[in-house]
Amino acid sequence: MSNIINIKNVTKEFKVLNRREGLKGSIKDLFSRDYKIVRAVDNISMDIEQGEVIGYLGPNGAGKSTTIKMMTGVLEPTSGEILVGGNIPYKNRTKNAQDIGVVFGQRSQLWWALPLIESFNILKDIYQIGDNEYHNMLEMYQSLVDIESLLHKPVRQMSLGQRTLSDILAAFLHDPKIVFLDEPTIGLDVSMKAKIRDLIYALNKEKNTTVILTTHDMGDVDALCRRIVIIDKGKMLYDNDIEHLRGFFGSYRTLKIRVDGKLSKCADIVRKELANLSVSSDDEWISILVDEEKTTVMDVLNQLRNTFNIRDMQLEEISTEDVIKKIYEEGVK
Amino acid sequence: MKKKGLGFYLKIYCKILAQDLKSKMSYRADFIISTIGMIFTNIAGFVSFWILFHNFSSINGWGYYEILFLYGFSLVSLTPVQCFFDNNWSLRAYVYSGDFIKYCFRPINLFFYYQSEIFDIKGLGQLAFGLGTIIYSWIKLGLGFSPLMLLKIIVFLITASLIMIALQNAAAATCFWINNSFYVLDLVTRFKDYAKYPVTIFSPVFRFIFTFIMPIAFIAYYPSLVILRPDAVPLLSWLSPLFGCLFFWLSYKFWMYGAMKYNGTGS
Repeated sequence: MSNIINIKNVTKEFKVLNRREGLKGSIKDLFSRDYKIVRAVDNISMDIEQGEVIGYLGPNGAGKSTTIKMMTGVLEPTSGEILVGGNIPYKNRTKNAQDIGVVFGQRSQLWWALPLIESFNILKDIYQIGDNEYHNMLEMYQSLVDIESLLHKPVRQMSLGQRTLSDILAAFLHDPKIVFLDEPTIGLDVSMKAKIRDLIYALNKEKNTTVILTTHDMGDVDALCRRIVIIDKGKMLYDNDIEHLRGFFGSYRTLKIRVDGKLSKCADIVRKELANLSVSSDDEWISILVDEEKTTVMDVLNQLRNTFNIRDMQLEEISTEDVIKKIYEEGVK
Repeated sequence: MKKKGLGFYLKIYCKILAQDLKSKMSYRADFIISTIGMIFTNIAGFVSFWILFHNFSSINGWGYYEILFLYGFSLVSLTPVQCFFDNNWSLRAYVYSGDFIKYCFRPINLFFYYQSEIFDIKGLGQLAFGLGTIIYSWIKLGLGFSPLMLLKIIVFLITASLIMIALQNAAAATCFWINNSFYVLDLVTRFKDYAKYPVTIFSPVFRFIFTFIMPIAFIAYYPSLVILRPDAVPLLSWLSPLFGCLFFWLSYKFWMYGAMKYNGTGS
């Protein structure tokens, strides 16, 4: 398989005004400007193959959007090379646009007042989609989702879920090589989320479209992505299989217990007792993260039983969410 | 991929326009109310104009019907900017909120794509009203008729429209650099109200400003001279089609330059 996207040592810097505090500071800013350079993306490299679904993760402000904007040609990298389908996105913005589809979770790109089918019709002309391809695509859509109820509804009357669904269908309509999905499930209910995931999964399988997905919902990642890329503060932290990532923390399990007595007080005592383990508590449970290579869950449990009357317990494997959280907080060791 | 020429863009525009009109008409009450509103706006504009000028037989050598002609001319030449480029008014909001980025992903001309989104139907009433005024004053002035005159007035109406569009484009595009470009756009729109008066009634300072700095004198005054005063047409009138195209092209370049510089806010 060949690479559809090549990113090599890409850096993007922004010039940002160093704002001074208070009214006095603002007035000073008017006359003498003090700029600082902020590195939003710092020396990132990756290759992406045709047909991959990639989870592009990172905390807010990590530089995800900036990277996507560079891949879609909206921003020019400060240094480094980006090739998308053989094009330099910034230089051939229109040509690149023909090869990609973009969905922003909160910003519909469809014509607000028009029924969906009319939007599709206009997109057919804009992307110069042939009649046959167009009809095949619509047929396939029909087999995947209940599209009939959407086709004749103006976009502005749709619910957020229907709109997102429509936007995704519109992004895939011209059979692009790559589709960028920026938080497609944000603000959706559980069943709509599942629907959207199924749709993305099916479209990727059917058309072998490369999908680059940014999200904060690990459910999306678990359902769709085999490979994930994590960046933070512009730097790449991780780029590998999701299984491999779990392997990093595979020996970790979370032990949850419920005890007699006041929870916060007990949690403090547990913390004291198990000083080398990470302990947290919520309204119901005290959670203890146990590294099974060092101590076993049984040992911890025995130790606690000496001090507490344990009423209930649960054992959890580490979730993707926890893994990502750990990486955001501590980095990959 | 086929080449995207004028035909390609025209086809897409017509399609969007047809759909847009269809969807607007489906909101019947809205459609009727805005049509009525449009008629009253035009009548009100005309009445205030009439009160002002009917009591004077001439101003600075300009007769009532000549001024009426100018008025009609300015109405017609302001129609395209109203109908086709009304989305310029929203540009500031799109840029400020970061939503402008959604226009950047289509494989067609960004300026075209952005402007094609909105067609303001209100302009059509203005067009009908303006045309009526031109024809009425034309007859009253006894200008006569020849195909050459028709050609002239069409060319100069297009010229005038281009200049107004150029002014608005440039004013709207300032939002790519400054946060509150509303005032720039508002200023240009307010100045265009002076377009319907013969520039000779203003003081030399404003005459200079309206000719060279904010060229609203080209919206009605200089082009109309070709029809109204065929014996004494200044060079500026004959040059105005050239200026029209040049201004439009410059404003387009300016707009696109701003749009390309734009990089969106957050995510």
